[in-house]
Amino acid sequence: MGMASAAAMSASIPASSFLSSCSGPKIPSTADSVILLWMAGGMAHTETFDPKAYTPFTKGVESKRVLSTFPKVPTAVDGLYFSEGLESVGSVMDRGAIIRSYRSADLGHILHTRHQYHWHTCYEPPQSVQMPHIGAWIAKELGPKNDVIPPFIALGQRFTVGEAEELKAFHSAGFLGGEYGPFLIPDPSAGMQSVRPPQGMDINRFEARNKLYKELTNKSPMGDLGSDYQKESLIRSMEQSYRLLNSPEVKAFDLGDEPEKKYEQYNTGRFGLGCLMAKRLVQHGARFISVSTEYEPFLGWDTHENGHLRAKGMKQLIDRPIAQLIKDLEESGHLDRTLIILASEFSRDAILEGRPGEKVKDQVNQPDVIEDEKFYGMHRHFTDGASILMWGGGIEKGLVFGKTAEERPCSSIEDTVVIDQIHQSIYHALGIPPETHYTIEGRPVYTTPDGNGEAIMRLFGKDTTV
Amino acid sequence: MDINPLWIFQLIGRLHPMIVHFPIGLIFVALLLEMLTYRGKQGLREGISWLINLGALSAVVASIMGILLINFDSYGGDLVLNHQIAGLLTTLFSIITAILLCRAKKAPNPNFLPYRISLILTTIILTVAGHLGASLTHGDDFLTELLPWKGTNYDSSKTSALLAEVSQQDSVSIRQLDRISLEVRALFAHNCYQCHSEEKQKGELVLDSKEGVFAGGESGPMFIIGDAQNSEIIRRITLPKNHDEVMPKKGNILSTDEVNLISWWIDNGAHWVDGDIKIFPEAPLALTKPELPPADGSMQHPIDRLINAYFEKNGISWPEVVDDRKFIQRAYLDIIGLLPTPAQIQKFEGDIDPNKRTKLIQSLLSDDHNYTQHWISFWNDILRNDYSGTGFITGGRKQITDWLYTSLLENKPYHQMVKELTNPTEESEGFIKGIQWRGAVNASQTTSMQAAQNIGQSLMGMNVKCASCHNSFVSNLSLAQTYAFANIFSDTTLELYRCDKPTGKMAQTEFIYSELGSVEAETIKERLKLLSEVIIKPENGRLYRTIVNRIWERLNGRGIVEPLDEMDNEPWNGDLLDWLASDFIAHDYDLKYLIENIMTSRAYQLPGVGYKDPQAIKTERYVYKGPVIRRLTAEQFTDAVSQVITPVYHALAFDPSDEDQDFSRVWHREIEFDRDVLPKPGKRYFRKSFNVPNKDLESAQVLISVDHAYTLYINEQVVLSGNDWKKIGKAHVDDLITKGENIIAVEGENEGPIPNPAGILFRLKLDYSDGTSDTIASDRNWISTKEVSSDAWKKLAFDDSSWEEVRRFGTSAWGKMVNFTFDENGDKFARASLVQLDPFLKALGRPTRENVATTREEQASLLQALELTNGEFFNNLLEEGAKKWLAEYHSDPKVIADSLYLKCLGRLPSDTEQKVILSALGDTPDEAAIQDLFWATLLLPEFQFIN
Repeated sequence: MGMASAAAMSASIPASSFLSSCSGPKIPSTADSVILLWMAGGMAHTETFDPKAYTPFTKGVESKRVLSTFPKVPTAVDGLYFSEGLESVGSVMDRGAIIRSYRSADLGHILHTRHQYHWHTCYEPPQSVQMPHIGAWIAKELGPKNDVIPPFIALGQRFTVGEAEELKAFHSAGFLGGEYGPFLIPDPSAGMQSVRPPQGMDINRFEARNKLYKELTNKSPMGDLGSDYQKESLIRSMEQSYRLLNSPEVKAFDLGDEPEKKYEQYNTGRFGLGCLMAKRLVQHGARFISVSTEYEPFLGWDTHENGHLRAKGMKQLIDRPIAQLIKDLEESGHLDRTLIILASEFSRDAILEGRPGEKVKDQVNQPDVIEDEKFYGMHRHFTDGASILMWGGGIEKGLVFGKTAEERPCSSIEDTVVIDQIHQSIYHALGIPPETHYTIEGRPVYTTPDGNGEAIMRLFGKDTTV
Repeated sequence: MDINPLWIFQLIGRLHPMIVHFPIGLIFVALLLEMLTYRGKQGLREGISWLINLGALSAVVASIMGILLINFDSYGGDLVLNHQIAGLLTTLFSIITAILLCRAKKAPNPNFLPYRISLILTTIILTVAGHLGASLTHGDDFLTELLPWKGTNYDSSKTSALLAEVSQQDSVSIRQLDRISLEVRALFAHNCYQCHSEEKQKGELVLDSKEGVFAGGESGPMFIIGDAQNSEIIRRITLPKNHDEVMPKKGNILSTDEVNLISWWIDNGAHWVDGDIKIFPEAPLALTKPELPPADGSMQHPIDRLINAYFEKNGISWPEVVDDRKFIQRAYLDIIGLLPTPAQIQKFEGDIDPNKRTKLIQSLLSDDHNYTQHWISFWNDILRNDYSGTGFITGGRKQITDWLYTSLLENKPYHQMVKELTNPTEESEGFIKGIQWRGAVNASQTTSMQAAQNIGQSLMGMNVKCASCHNSFVSNLSLAQTYAFANIFSDTTLELYRCDKPTGKMAQTEFIYSELGSVEAETIKERLKLLSEVIIKPENGRLYRTIVNRIWERLNGRGIVEPLDEMDNEPWNGDLLDWLASDFIAHDYDLKYLIENIMTSRAYQLPGVGYKDPQAIKTERYVYKGPVIRRLTAEQFTDAVSQVITPVYHALAFDPSDEDQDFSRVWHREIEFDRDVLPKPGKRYFRKSFNVPNKDLESAQVLISVDHAYTLYINEQVVLSGNDWKKIGKAHVDDLITKGENIIAVEGENEGPIPNPAGILFRLKLDYSDGTSDTIASDRNWISTKEVSSDAWKKLAFDDSSWEEVRRFGTSAWGKMVNFTFDENGDKFARASLVQLDPFLKALGRPTRENVATTREEQASLLQALELTNGEFFNNLLEEGAKKWLAEYHSDPKVIADSLYLKCLGRLPSDTEQKVILSALGDTPDEAAIQDLFWATLLLPEFQFIN
């Protein structure tokens, strides 16, 4: 074989071992940690953070008249109204911003997990290589903030539910390699189990076992192999895992360590406890955490019937813990460097399925005239407008960005935002350059497709328009 | 506009980058002058003193400004923090230096040493602070990017050579002009097409056609022929890296030689040569017929003769082959994926037959089922086959397991396998079928495109994915070629989409290498038949190179070409690759022959080579010295645990021996909006009737495990009930069974607050006195309902016509499968290659197989180590195993230590090892001590790696 330059070879290095490729100017970061509060299943913006005209339930009301099934309530920001039941989140909006003009992708016949895959990876499935979750990108680029806390933690989502394989498809580090994949904790109240020595093993035995391992490794003739990267990586990861399991810092995973009053402030269910754990993890130096209301077909925010009543229940689940999370992080001084995002894969509407004007197969039978309260609510999937909330981490306080129409279709009509911009805004806050990419199977794969999408500078209080 | 009331502070802060140059300059000059005082120029001291005092003062000012800058502008991160610390230290030390100098000057006996040390320290810290500061403003690769080994994306040695060649001559030939033109086009392709091609057209500039290059873009023509100096392109590509107008914007800027070559090309008339340029190196399609070096002495095996020539060329001498113990371990793990038992090792070591290694390989290869159950993982990865998932609601994965298992068991010739994969029967169609997601899909991801991509990657070692969207940037493959390939699998003629936008052009129908033969025909069926005949032709050397390279990699840890899916890359030994492929064809495409051929070589038997840096293995610089150390695969490790400790899995997702055996759990099917949903909490009722022939029944046994609670009735009699699926209900029911029709009825209950998995696993085995038997298992022939009105539903005569077929739930929701067998002391275990993917296997590196996966991750990760260190699954296994060992070896620590080392490592512990183990076990080891010894031994590098 002839001469080959270093660069030609770097193109042929497999996915797991390539060099970082970013070389652009450094952006000063405004955040070190991210918490993603995931409203799984499609949260209707008109029922939550972007209320429209209120139509109370009466027998015989026409579906087309129903835009919001709750009255509006004021928030801490003048002129900003939320839907009833979100008063607590409203009370902390002076610490954050709301984007009211998010537009999901148009992927035809709706499948939640496809949109979720798109939201979390920025790529529309299927893809010819496995794409990394945004948490994996962040873990790869920034690494752990505290060595004993895994850099990407996913709270709340189980994989024994419907569409499980599809959920697994994006809860993945993809081509970045398993090392950056999610540390999964489906049930926050049992979080300690994932990070302490195995059940039934006290600390003395755990120490002794590790000592035995080390001694046998040293005595083993495998030592004559010299230094081999695979061996080194095994020893290193075993060492890391021992340190983690033995570290006092793993207390961060222990909700039992919280005062009972605090625990109860958060405890609206698994999601609320997830928020509490996210708080503790951030305070102990976690990098990226997602807290999901959990996607399970037809449950949670995926209201195919009884939309009004179920939205009410979901608001009770999220309202108090989210507000408490913001306040507690503010009080402990972590809010400034922690970016908190609340989002959902798309919104819902009483009548429209998918994009207005596109003929998408309906999945819900909605009568023109509502006789039964179970038909009162947002039961169809709407992709043309949704809300995203952000707090901390350099986000402009009290900002209201973009808007949707007051009448149906309640589409985004000003400063429409797509997922690429959201991802780039998150990367911007973390100081990850927009052109970050790796060469996978010979192709450059960027954090956002082709490196497109620019951070929304107004979110950071910088008006770039002239 | 809002005016920030603190703008003045912000302004002052922003002067920091200017003011910092004062302390830098002053203190550096001070140090310089101070060095001169060493040679006696004491008169300089006065000036130095001024410099240092001013330096310290300006450092204080700069620090204050820096702090303002951090607080009033948005800065953050480690780099800023480090710069801040270094800056403040500089200030502190410059003040100390000033004080020390002042003191020294005043002292009657001046000692300038402390001051001098302090000054040097200050300068060093200042340099660090300055560097960090510069990294903040210019990027931290501001300096390193200029280092010569930080190359561009393109092999510029060719450019340099060409440039040197033409610039030394007075006149150039037309051939040289052609080559220059092609090289310039290649430079455009590598550096500019990403933004300036027919597809992207940024700034209205198109560089992939002659018209485009000569037309220029928005800002006018790109160059003036004959005047490179004043050409826009040269101006833009020579701008400094962070300049607004520099080209290329993405990626690295061009090297000097590359710029010079383009300049030369413009100055010399911008000659253009048309026609296809093969920009990228491309492996020839046909195999060369390399001549074998002559055999001599110990060099008889063709592979060794080829490698001997390679070794001689590279100045490498042959190491000793591994000893018998290592050899037998390798051979077992590589052919059947299992560990040899201590007895097998001992027997092999004692065998004096000089041919024993070859004989061992042959005998292992003839262990058909175990061979198949090991190698099926390799094929599942490549062919994207698995036992569960990817559902994707509408037409997910279709398994080809039956076909694959049989093909391996029968050792079907490889060309025949390829034929059946490309022109499939119903059994093998899963591979090209692709995965369809619900909804609209990008044009580059249609199922016909996926077929082209998967055949390209898996079988041809070719990246078709790039060219599914636009002409490839990594190979010579064009969009049109890819569409022509995909068109074979499409029922309507495909329209070319470029980056998901229609082009109006319709696709041809052609295999990538059209010279192999036409695949044009009316129907898909006919086209697939043609394709399957064309693709397997021996002239398609690439197909056979790809497979022999994959097998070589499996056995040696590193392919002859890497990556395995990019067969246009340089092999480290092209003769070896082509000889193996030709020899494979000459031996009827026999995969077992290929494996035997490689494994009987002396090369395979060389000791494993370790590498400090994984990149040394994967790049084209790699030099072969013997097999590379490999880690046990997820399946090999798990099966070894099953062999040594306790069976890890009991039930298979795919069972080749017993087609009727079904370990699926069943439950009532619940549907909402046309979709299956998880079972809701509550009671459900199940029925299954069966017929007993008119024969003497010898025994009837029942097994049942239900998540969550159940009561089982046979012919209205209660048989068993329970509420823990991990505890298997067993009963003899001979008395309850009658000849003719019988009825099984189960009342099941799903617990919990929300819908969650539930399922009945059931088996009834009827043994007749004539030696025959029948099995009734939980399968889709069961029926169920949500509500019953009375107890009558348990009766045979009950009218169940309104009941519905149950839903099968597989096994994945239940983690470790139960030992669902009538056999009381079954040490049999299910091979990990045949079970469903679970979190344990996933953590150990078994891929999800949503996409083709031709290599596995080689490096360990924290998440994997956590799974092994505190994972419930693994620890439970070890605990279970410890119980068994304790019962078997009665707390004899020495026996336990010896047995474990023999079984795992094939050797006894050394004296020092034994001391460590015995002190850990104590005199009478308990379960916990044994469990922990298992853990420590199984994770030893010596156990984890094949070397």
